[in-house]
Amino acid sequence: MPKKEYDVLIVGSGHSGGMAANILTKKGISCLMLNAGPEADYQRDRTTKAAHELPYRGFNKPGRLPHVYQANEFNANQWVDEKENPYTHDPAKPYNWVRVRLLGGRSLFWARQSFRLSDLEFKAAEIDGGGDSWPISLDDLAPFYSRVEEIFHVTGRKEGWPQFPDGNFIEQNYPPDSRTIQKVTELCKTRGIGVSKMRSSQGEGGLASSINLLLPAAVDTGKLEVVSNAIVREITVDKKTGKANGAFFIDRHSKREMHVGAKVVILAAGTLESTRLLLNSGIANSSGVLGHYLHDQIYGVSVVASVPEARDGKAKPGMMGGSAFIPRFRNLSKAKKSSFIKGYCAIIGSGGSASPNHFAAYGEELQAKLDSYQGSCVSGSIYGERTVKFENHVRVNKEVKDAWGIPVLHIDVKDTPNEFAMAKDAADTFEELFKDAGWEILSKTDKFYPPGYSIHEVGTARMGNNPKTSVLNKWCQSHDIKNLFVVDGSSFVTCGWQNPTMTILALSMRASEYLAEELRKGNV
Amino acid sequence: MKRRRFLQALSTAPAVPALVQQAGAQQAPATVPAPAAPGRGGRGGATGQVPHIPVGTPDDSADTVAKFFTTGQFATLKKLAGILVPPVKGNVGALDTDAPEFLDFLIGASPAETQTLYRNGLDGLNASARRKFAKAFSEIDAKQADEILKPLLVQVPWVYDLPKDPMKHFVYQVHSDLRTATRNSPEANKAAANTGRRGGGGAGLFWNPIDPV
Ligand SMILES: Cc1cc2nc3c(=O)[nH]c(=O)nc-3n(C[C@H](O)[C@H](O)[C@H](O)COP(=O)(O)OP(=O)(O)OC[C@H]3O[C@@H](n4cnc5c(N)ncnc54)[C@H](O)[C@@H]3O)c2cc1C
Repeated sequence: MPKKEYDVLIVGSGHSGGMAANILTKKGISCLMLNAGPEADYQRDRTTKAAHELPYRGFNKPGRLPHVYQANEFNANQWVDEKENPYTHDPAKPYNWVRVRLLGGRSLFWARQSFRLSDLEFKAAEIDGGGDSWPISLDDLAPFYSRVEEIFHVTGRKEGWPQFPDGNFIEQNYPPDSRTIQKVTELCKTRGIGVSKMRSSQGEGGLASSINLLLPAAVDTGKLEVVSNAIVREITVDKKTGKANGAFFIDRHSKREMHVGAKVVILAAGTLESTRLLLNSGIANSSGVLGHYLHDQIYGVSVVASVPEARDGKAKPGMMGGSAFIPRFRNLSKAKKSSFIKGYCAIIGSGGSASPNHFAAYGEELQAKLDSYQGSCVSGSIYGERTVKFENHVRVNKEVKDAWGIPVLHIDVKDTPNEFAMAKDAADTFEELFKDAGWEILSKTDKFYPPGYSIHEVGTARMGNNPKTSVLNKWCQSHDIKNLFVVDGSSFVTCGWQNPTMTILALSMRASEYLAEELRKGNV
Repeated sequence: MKRRRFLQALSTAPAVPALVQQAGAQQAPATVPAPAAPGRGGRGGATGQVPHIPVGTPDDSADTVAKFFTTGQFATLKKLAGILVPPVKGNVGALDTDAPEFLDFLIGASPAETQTLYRNGLDGLNASARRKFAKAFSEIDAKQADEILKPLLVQVPWVYDLPKDPMKHFVYQVHSDLRTATRNSPEANKAAANTGRRGGGGAGLFWNPIDPV
């Protein structure tokens, strides 16, 4: 049978691949989507179970998923199996790479916090001199953010703050803040810190994924074919034209190798998988920066306090409960400098309980404390921007292969003094704030998780105007191979403190519309 | 009890015989049942509704065989379980839920680093009891146990930054593991269901292996 050739081959089915398929197929462009893993059947694959019914009483199988701190015995099967699909790192430089290969990728499980980047990030070099600027600004991306926010049904409160750009939000009637949240807001105000509300994708039916919000419309056009269990191992290039012409992939079950042809290739396999694929294919790296500038955010810094008047069940109605969101407030202008560059956001939660770890006690004494502190706690935790550095990189480790014989990634990332200074500032700030509120500090930690934990890894095929210092141009298109695009987080120049998915979606939408137009003009 | 649930399940099986449904689905002539094609019909080839047989967990019917720790270590672990997680305010305690037996299994299946932490920790407590009270840890009274354990207790505000002192680290870990093993036990689950109180490990959505290779 003659081989089919598709207009566009899309590798990956998560937010980024789903958006590319949605945009391109609606313009009549035929797409083949290859996805490394199977489809989840929400009826068949999930069962309600009690912890004691699980083989390890909820502890998880020892040694399984050592890098996925988010894993527990209930959800262990949703993550990529680290034995089948390993990666390497120096033990002294841990990296937590959290992956999902199901159809829909991580869009099935993300927490849906939805932010725009601001020009503080897009134009970072001009503002604080730390890191580089993107080749685009908020103005370029704003129309795409608006359309993404509409598709994902994003809720949020508009504030008019440049560091926290407003969007096309569904207006929500927030219930009145509890008195503890009001107190935090007042104290922040005296320090010039703005307090807002979380911005979040509502999606539909509790799911804001590619499989319910993006792929169904693409399927309806009749222009999308999806093949699951197809692990792409190499992008192929026509030696004569220098253009990408398809990919080799391996059937996950049988390990049969296949080749598919396409006029254009879009990588949407998630930042590090797309980068691995480019490195293993030996393409798109005339700049030498492919795999470099890997970054994400610091998570884990937190302060927990207890409100004395709320202890022993004495909280009056309206005293506890609710939450607040504090967008970046440090280093907003060149003039105001602190001991570190960049900044962090904070999430304040009220009405939680103390954990047994807060007390050096056991038995009856511990139980009495837990009962007394129940519902009396206020916590503050942060997401902070990590430094973007050339040295933080991934490379192929030819010595180690995955279950399909594909060389794995070696990840080499180290935090800098900036991260530690930022974490200390955050812990000190919230400790002082909670103390000023008259609350008892139960715990304060300026420690944070290893890189990767935030699940916001980005930057390894950065975009830029200069082909000597960047992999992609401002349309997420390879400088070297004009019919090759990378639409996941690989293109980021900096991720800021913001969770990246709204930006990934907006960039994928923008790149796909550009590609459709270039195809129409016969330019690729 | 099990037999009764089995019969109940059978009584909810479909009233229409499976064969008729299967024949209907295959559109075979009503009078002549279609021969079972290889791999369909016959054993494992049911196409109709199949009775649901209720099954239990091993803990419903049997005891864990503790075999990882030495007799002395296990006696120390049992003593610790009674002290650190006693039955308080109507909650079940670690000893009511065979948490030490469960941890014997869990630690036996854990990486070497965890096994060493536990073995050295249990031996360390025993040595300390012998030094202070000339008795095994398993034989000391509650006051004596407090004297050994209280100086080893620490607050752990950040679960990935554990105490550097191996004995403090061990006491934190065993306390935390005993609490989880107790809370997630069938007994705690049953007690919580009976009293309507919080305390059992509760239920969650479990993802089955999805199309494994
Ligand atoms: C628990 C959790 C919470 C999160 N919370 C938030 C949040 O609140 N806000 C936010 O902005 N972000 C959040 N994220 C991150 C967010 O999910 C990701 O940024 C986003 O989904 C990435 O989309 P993607 O399409 O780039 O990659 P992915 O979703 O990883 O999709 C990549 C797809 O590519 C496929 N693939 C990989 N390799 C190959 C190959 N070789 N061949 C073929 N296919 C391949 C995979 O099967 C996968 O389906 C969270 C993530 C998780 C897991």
